[in-house]
Amino acid sequence: MNVMITGASGGLGRALAAECAGRGYNLFLTDINEEGLLSLQNGLERQYGVCVTTRKCDLTNDKSVDEMLSVIDQNGISFDMLLNIAGMDFEGGFLERERENVVKIVSLNVEATLRITHAILKRRRAGRAFSLVFVSSLASLYPMPLKATYAASKRFLSDFALALGQELKSQNVKVLTLCPGGLATTPEAISGIAAQGFWGEVTTNKLEAVAFNTIERVHRGKSLYIPGAVNRTLSLFGKLLPRSFIAAIIYKRWISAQSKWLCLEGKS
Amino acid sequence: MKTVIITGATSGIGLETALKLTRKGYSVIGVGHSQSNCDKAKEQILAKNPKAKIIYFSAELMQQRELKRVADELEKYLSEHCNAELHALINNVGGVRSWYQTTEEGYEQQFALNHLAGFMLTYRLLPYIEKALGRVIMTGSNSHKGIKVHWNDVMLKEGYNPLTAYKQSKLCNILFAKALNDRYGGNGISAYTVDPGLVKTNIGNKQTGGLVNFIWSLRKRQGVSPEIPAETYVYLCERESAPSGLYYYLCRERDFSKEVTQENADRLFALSERLCGIKYSDLVTEL
Repeated sequence: MNVMITGASGGLGRALAAECAGRGYNLFLTDINEEGLLSLQNGLERQYGVCVTTRKCDLTNDKSVDEMLSVIDQNGISFDMLLNIAGMDFEGGFLERERENVVKIVSLNVEATLRITHAILKRRRAGRAFSLVFVSSLASLYPMPLKATYAASKRFLSDFALALGQELKSQNVKVLTLCPGGLATTPEAISGIAAQGFWGEVTTNKLEAVAFNTIERVHRGKSLYIPGAVNRTLSLFGKLLPRSFIAAIIYKRWISAQSKWLCLEGKS
Repeated sequence: MKTVIITGATSGIGLETALKLTRKGYSVIGVGHSQSNCDKAKEQILAKNPKAKIIYFSAELMQQRELKRVADELEKYLSEHCNAELHALINNVGGVRSWYQTTEEGYEQQFALNHLAGFMLTYRLLPYIEKALGRVIMTGSNSHKGIKVHWNDVMLKEGYNPLTAYKQSKLCNILFAKALNDRYGGNGISAYTVDPGLVKTNIGNKQTGGLVNFIWSLRKRQGVSPEIPAETYVYLCERESAPSGLYYYLCRERDFSKEVTQENADRLFALSERLCGIKYSDLVTEL
C-alpha cells in the first residue's frame, strides 16, 4: 500500500503517519517543514521499520508541486491512498487578520488540496482501488463567525469530497471526509481547548483514536467520519436548526472563548 | 569545583536542587524549556545566593533535534570550562500530557520527555561523567509501582491514558538507572532514581487540559515543598563514596517495583537505543 500524506509533520499528520506505518504501509510524506519531516522519517523507520520517503513541498506553489511530482515520476512511484492533511487557520475575526493571511487559508485549505488531489489521482496505481481522505472539520457543518474563512474553506472540502466521491465511484475510488472537533496537537490548540471550558473539553477528540478510526473507515468505504458522540449530536443540530440562528449562537460562544484565549496566550 | 547538570531546572524540584547545589559550592548548569524561564530561574538563584556559579541552556528536550543541539553546546562548555568532567547529570525534566501528543519523531511526548530525553542526554555526556567517576540521577516516582511496560505499544497509541503514560515513563526511569549500573558500574559510574514524593510543583498544570489540571491543582495542595526532595539529590551528589542503592526517597533507599528486572532493563535499553538512533557500545570507554 503506497500512501501519500500532506501536512505530515503536523500533529494530525504525524498521528496518521504512525497509524499507517503501524499497518506496514509505504509512506511518502510531504510538508513545508523539512526538519520536521526528517525527524518523522527517522522516528517511523526506527519504530516500525517501514519504508518512508519525504519531500519538502509548498503545496500552494505550482512550481514546488511540479518539482515534487517530477521526482515521483522519475522514480515511477504510484499511489493507493492520499491523505490530505495540510491545512491552516489564523485566530481572530476577519478584519483583525492580515489580508494575506485570510487569503492564505483558502490557498492552502482549498486550492492546494485540489492541486495535489488532482495530481495524485492521476498517479494512482493501475488496477487497484484508490482511497482519498479530506480533513474537513466540525466547523464545516455550520457558518462560523470569527472563523468564517476557515469554516467556509472546510465546507468547500466537505461538499467537494461528497461530489467527487460520487463522480469517481465507478472508477473504484473511495472518498472519506473527516470532520474532527478540537484536537490537542499543539500547545496553542491545548490552550484554545482550555479557554472554551466545558465545550472545549467535550468536543475535543482523542488524536490516536481519530487516526485509527480514520484508516479503519477508509477501508470500510465510509464517506463521512465525525468523531465523538457529542460532535455527532452537534452536527445533527446543525442540520435541523436554521443556519442564521446557529451562526448567532456560535458567535456568542466564540466571542467569549476567543477573548479568554487571547488573554491566556498573552500571559503565557 | 565539581560540575552538575540539571534538566528541568527552571522550576519545581529542579530549581530547588540547583539552588541547594550552588550553596554547596557546585558549579551548576541548568537546562530549561525556554530562554525566558531560564533567565528568570537564574535571577531567582542569584537573588538567594549571589555567589552561585550558575548558567542555563535552553532546549525543548523532548525533540531530539533540540536535544542534539544543546548536547553540542553542553559538551563545548564542559570541555572549555569544567575540565571535561561532569560530577553528576540529573535527568529531572518531566511532564504530564492530558492527551496523546507526539514529538517530531512521532513519539508519545511523556515517553519522549520523561524517559528518552534522559536516555539520550546521558549517552551524549557519558564520557564526561566517566571522567569524573560521576553519577546519573533520574527523577522517578513511586507511582511506577503497579504497572508494566507496554512492550507492544510503548507509545500507548492503542489507548492513551495520562496516568498510565506517566507511570510507565517513571518505571522506565528506574529501569534505565539499573541498566546504566549494570553496564557502567565497573567504570565508576553510579545511577539512581529519586522518588520525590508528592511535591507542590506545577507539573500537572503545564500543557494539560481541564481534568488533569483540576485534579493536580487539588492534589498538589497535599504536597511538600520542593526543598524536601531536593535534599535527596544533594545527598546523592555529596556522598564521598557513591551510595550503593538504586531507588531513593528522603535520602534513604526504598523498595521498587518487581518489574525492575534485568530482562526488562535490557529490553528497554535496546528499544531506547533504537528509538534514539544511538548505540551506547559505540562510546569509547576507558576501563
